[in-house]
Amino acid sequence: MNDRHQQYERLIAPIESRMMRAVWRVIRDPNEVEDAFQDALLTVWKRWDRICKHPNPQALVLQICINSAHDALRRKLRQGRWLQAGAIPEDIPDSSPSVTQDISGAEQGALMLRAIGLLPKNQARAILMHAVEEVPYGDIASSMDCRESTVRKHVARARAKLRTILSHLIPAVHNKEESSHA
Amino acid sequence: MRDQNDNEIDDLIRRSTHVEVPAEVEDRLRHRLAEFRTRVERRQSSRLRSLVYSLTARPAVRVMAMAAAALVVVAVGLVLIPRSANASRVYAAAAQQLRSSQSLEFSIVFNETPYVGVDFSYAAPGYQRLNCSWGIEVRADHTAGKQIVLMHLTRMYVAESGKQVQRLANSEDLLEQLLSLPPSAEEVLGERQAGGKRLIGYRLPNATLGTSFPGLRTFDMWVDAGTRHADHVDIAIQEQGKPVYRMYIRNIRVDGQIDQSLFDLTPPAGYTSITAPGAELHANKPAPVQNALALRAQILQSAAMTAVMAPMTGSYEQTPAALQAVESYLKTQGVTPAGPPFGRFESERNWGAGYPVPPGTHVDAPFQFASLPSTLVASVVVKGPWGPDSGGRWSAFLKSVVEQGYLPAGPPMEIWSGDDGKVQTQSTEMRIAVAKAN
Repeated sequence: MNDRHQQYERLIAPIESRMMRAVWRVIRDPNEVEDAFQDALLTVWKRWDRICKHPNPQALVLQICINSAHDALRRKLRQGRWLQAGAIPEDIPDSSPSVTQDISGAEQGALMLRAIGLLPKNQARAILMHAVEEVPYGDIASSMDCRESTVRKHVARARAKLRTILSHLIPAVHNKEESSHA
Repeated sequence: MRDQNDNEIDDLIRRSTHVEVPAEVEDRLRHRLAEFRTRVERRQSSRLRSLVYSLTARPAVRVMAMAAAALVVVAVGLVLIPRSANASRVYAAAAQQLRSSQSLEFSIVFNETPYVGVDFSYAAPGYQRLNCSWGIEVRADHTAGKQIVLMHLTRMYVAESGKQVQRLANSEDLLEQLLSLPPSAEEVLGERQAGGKRLIGYRLPNATLGTSFPGLRTFDMWVDAGTRHADHVDIAIQEQGKPVYRMYIRNIRVDGQIDQSLFDLTPPAGYTSITAPGAELHANKPAPVQNALALRAQILQSAAMTAVMAPMTGSYEQTPAALQAVESYLKTQGVTPAGPPFGRFESERNWGAGYPVPPGTHVDAPFQFASLPSTLVASVVVKGPWGPDSGGRWSAFLKSVVEQGYLPAGPPMEIWSGDDGKVQTQSTEMRIAVAKAN
């Protein structure tokens, strides 16, 4: 058993499933997820020495996966290859629950990903790490090489923008929660 | 303190994105992880390992992988950026100009004599062009998701679109980083006169430079104090126990007029389309036993050879059948092969496989008598079973050719020795005609 083997066992093996999930949750296209995942592995390979010395190597690896997936998502949007969702207007004209309650889970996922794809890079990556991967703020800050307060700002701004873009979805969620409690 | 709205939007994000990875997808990703793990465990120290991995990461079209990797090197060289300190107005102006540029051209010089370098052109929003001194040119239009790789020496091209183009699209991210240079450098190196210009040098700090390029010692950007334009960059790399290696970024032109025909994706007249040879042929063989990264081409004069060939078109998977046909024909003629079988892969429209035979051997149609003169070739023998990573092996091989100052000047050949039934006896010689780079 050599050093590299031990490093892999320590750093990557415990989070292999999380890495795959992190990329799949953003890409959701069997044809594209492999390329995005490979890109992430390439980045990990290039930064291997740095990752080994990083105070929070697993958060950094997850961040790399998120970044790669997010890059692929943005490329998809730029190239107009977004198939699942229809065009989302910048200003939502109708946010009434009657419209939004019909949105299926799949459509909701597509809309959410598209909205995340429209966010600035740092905001999108921070919210994906925080809300989707549930990584603590301190670890996100460490992986993004910035202060925790900066991450909190990114997340807050991302939430605000998503709230605006997806304002037609949020009342629906609210209503569903209420009905389930009842 | 998190308020209700924050919880609400976070829950919505979570619910919208929490999906399980389908089993089929997970299998494919686990296969990637297994490959990655093998590479990590065999990882060797090398200043070029990132480049090598780029070359071999995906068994795609080999020459395109090589050109794409060159693009990665170009961009990586430029991406080694500092994030700190002392403000410099001249540097800041140059960095600002780069950040806001709509077009960019520069040359990466890997070696002065013989010249080995890459000319790079970029025009917003997504046009890129690489022109490598070893006769390969890549033109990409990422707005349309298309690219073309031209091999001028052999007058061949590979046209790609859709998914495969995304390999080059990685360079977009690197380019984005170049176009987002930090506003300040850490150390001022001083001034010097060059070509009638007063240049001011700025050294970017090692602490951040080494993260993307192991072994990087210095990254010095020289800026024209008069125009405040980036003039050139000197890069020095040194790994422990190895000599210093230097490369340069020259001829930096920002927001200049770029001839749009540079990004034309139409194949030039007389060029033929090709695909990667060998990948399908070896697809069903066991995993490789020799590390593709370790391949080093030997430059030598090949012996003249005469052969009986089966001229072929279509998939290279027909190679075993072609060899079988030639072998049977030679038996009926009472001719004993003078060497192991081989294939020459110009393109799927024009390739062949056969056996060396004594000069003067009579050949009937549809077989052909081929006379291959003695010529300068690059060669390497891969011992053991070939394995599935044909593209990776050829990429590493061609990279080694270029590093030694030679250019490919003919179609790839593979010469197969050993017994199909005995893995230990098998070997494959990769061979390609080469010419000295100018």
